Amino acid sequence: MQTDMPRPVPPVRPLPEVLEALRERGLRRGVNPGPMTPGALPTGHPTLDAALRTGGWPRGAAVLLDAPPGSGATSLALGSVAAVQAGSGLAAWIDAAASFDPAGAAGRGVQLEWLLVARPRDPAEGLELAGWLARSRLLDLLVIDLGEGGGVSARAFDHLAQLLARAGGLALLLANGRAAREVAARSAGVRLSLSRTAWLSVGRDLVGQRVSAEVTRHRWALSGGRAELDLWFAEGRRIDPLLPSLAKPQPVLPATVQPGESGEPSALRVVS
Amino acid sequence: MTRLLALLWPALRSAEVDPALLALAEPICDRLDDLSPRVEAVDRGVVLLEVTGLEALLGSERRIAARAVALARGEATARGLVPPAVRAGVGDNRWLAVLAARLARPSQPGAPAAFLALPSGAEAVRAALAPLSLDLLPADPATRARFALFGLTSMGQLAELPRSAVGAQFGPLGERLQALARGEDRRPLTPRRRPEQVSAGIGFEPPAGGITEIALALRRRCAELCDALRLRRLAPGRAVVRLELEDAPALRVELAFPEPALEPDWIARLLIGRLEQEARTRRLTGEVEPRIVSIGLTFDRLANPAARQLPAFEAAAGRWEELRWALERLGSRFGPGRLWRAVHERPAAALPERRARLTGIGPEAGG
Repeated sequence: MQTDMPRPVPPVRPLPEVLEALRERGLRRGVNPGPMTPGALPTGHPTLDAALRTGGWPRGAAVLLDAPPGSGATSLALGSVAAVQAGSGLAAWIDAAASFDPAGAAGRGVQLEWLLVARPRDPAEGLELAGWLARSRLLDLLVIDLGEGGGVSARAFDHLAQLLARAGGLALLLANGRAAREVAARSAGVRLSLSRTAWLSVGRDLVGQRVSAEVTRHRWALSGGRAELDLWFAEGRRIDPLLPSLAKPQPVLPATVQPGESGEPSALRVVS
Repeated sequence: MTRLLALLWPALRSAEVDPALLALAEPICDRLDDLSPRVEAVDRGVVLLEVTGLEALLGSERRIAARAVALARGEATARGLVPPAVRAGVGDNRWLAVLAARLARPSQPGAPAAFLALPSGAEAVRAALAPLSLDLLPADPATRARFALFGLTSMGQLAELPRSAVGAQFGPLGERLQALARGEDRRPLTPRRRPEQVSAGIGFEPPAGGITEIALALRRRCAELCDALRLRRLAPGRAVVRLELEDAPALRVELAFPEPALEPDWIARLLIGRLEQEARTRRLTGEVEPRIVSIGLTFDRLANPAARQLPAFEAAAGRWEELRWALERLGSRFGPGRLWRAVHERPAAALPERRARLTGIGPEAGG
């Protein structure tokens, strides 16, 4: 039976909105993601390797570790550096925030003798330096700590992403500033959101934190993978191999509650 | 009869010596190569040259020594250093030449050089050494004390004794010391191999206005030298460029590569970068940038680029060696103070910040 009812016409969406939607799905203007460079680099956490569905960080990608300060992004990056070095890889830490702590890195298993540390004048120069290092094809992993990341342009991120894709390098982007995170998020081929789900404690001593990692964007695989990571403070795991079995998760209190006032373990009691 | 000239710089023999002065040893030997085909760097601050037969060409032994001293002092002055005092000695063998240099005393206080020649021929040498103290022999304190117990104080007394008697009392070491006291030393001179270098130069008429204007010419000279070396399967390990300036002292820049390289573009770029840095420093001190009259470019430390060894048992070490060249370029592009490497300082220190520290990479840091 036929009806005279007209078929519903899909609403016309403005072009910027369509482009934004495409961008959200991983398709961007000017950059062709192309085939993934073979091989993946270990993250240092097998559960995260599985969640990424590429067996680790995909080569040729800029990966944004999207996490509020203190949520374990730096620890995860250091763990990745240690894992890459364990496979005879070379890594560089581009320290635009001037906050790299060599002793802390060594405590997390990083071999300092095979780590290049670059201290650029500002974050923009840091991205340029990363591009040069990526072009050399001699480094497997670049960690770019942008700090607040002021003055970084989307174009610089795009350029770096292109160089990485061409050279098969990998960059982990750490950014504290919200603006820098948003700009980096547009160029990143992989975006990993981290949020703390629990503190890990032995008795009344904090020894680490449990972090939920969600792959919110992945240009070469299905996004949406999740993993739970236990990140230990300082040398915790090396001091006591039984720590993972002894530690118990403690709930994270809402941000509005002041630490120390309602039973939240004080930061001063962190075991390092 | 062999005649050897020894040059001895007492200032370079002391425990605390300026590293810039120590670095002079190699360039001085390079200059002395022009004087004699057989030059040996014996030890820190001691150089030996064979001067046998050079009298016909260069004059008396004293004149030859004076010429060697002038070459050494000129090298120090060219590098902006105050030339250290030098003692020159001539003898029939290594021991006698060095002993003569040790005994040489300046004719007047404060003179920059001193000269002494020991006579030639066994008898004359024995006669010259006879009154000298046994303390001049390279003996350990215990042997010296035993010499004193036997009442031996001068070289003549030791030389007079039968060799078998000295051997019975003091062993092979005593026999060797007795041979030295008699002026005998069979150790031959082991000449250093003169390092090969290739050079190119260009003059500007009228003089070039600045470093930017000479970039292309320098690039071409680099390419020419690289092409010539490529045919011989060689690559330079160091480049030295010298700019002769109008109404100003010459500007000299030295660039040691992390590995032998045949990349004229990069060599030229790095050299230009260093020259600009030098020029900037001069500008900061208020000097006007002078015009450039000529360029002299030298490549040395030539080696086969395919024959370099990479560490075989640690993959990261080999890759780091390859990375050093890229870091050199980065250092040139971004300037000093950008590239660092972390090193363990006191791994067991109580304070974490004392366990490791960052150390610079690059020519400024010497890394």
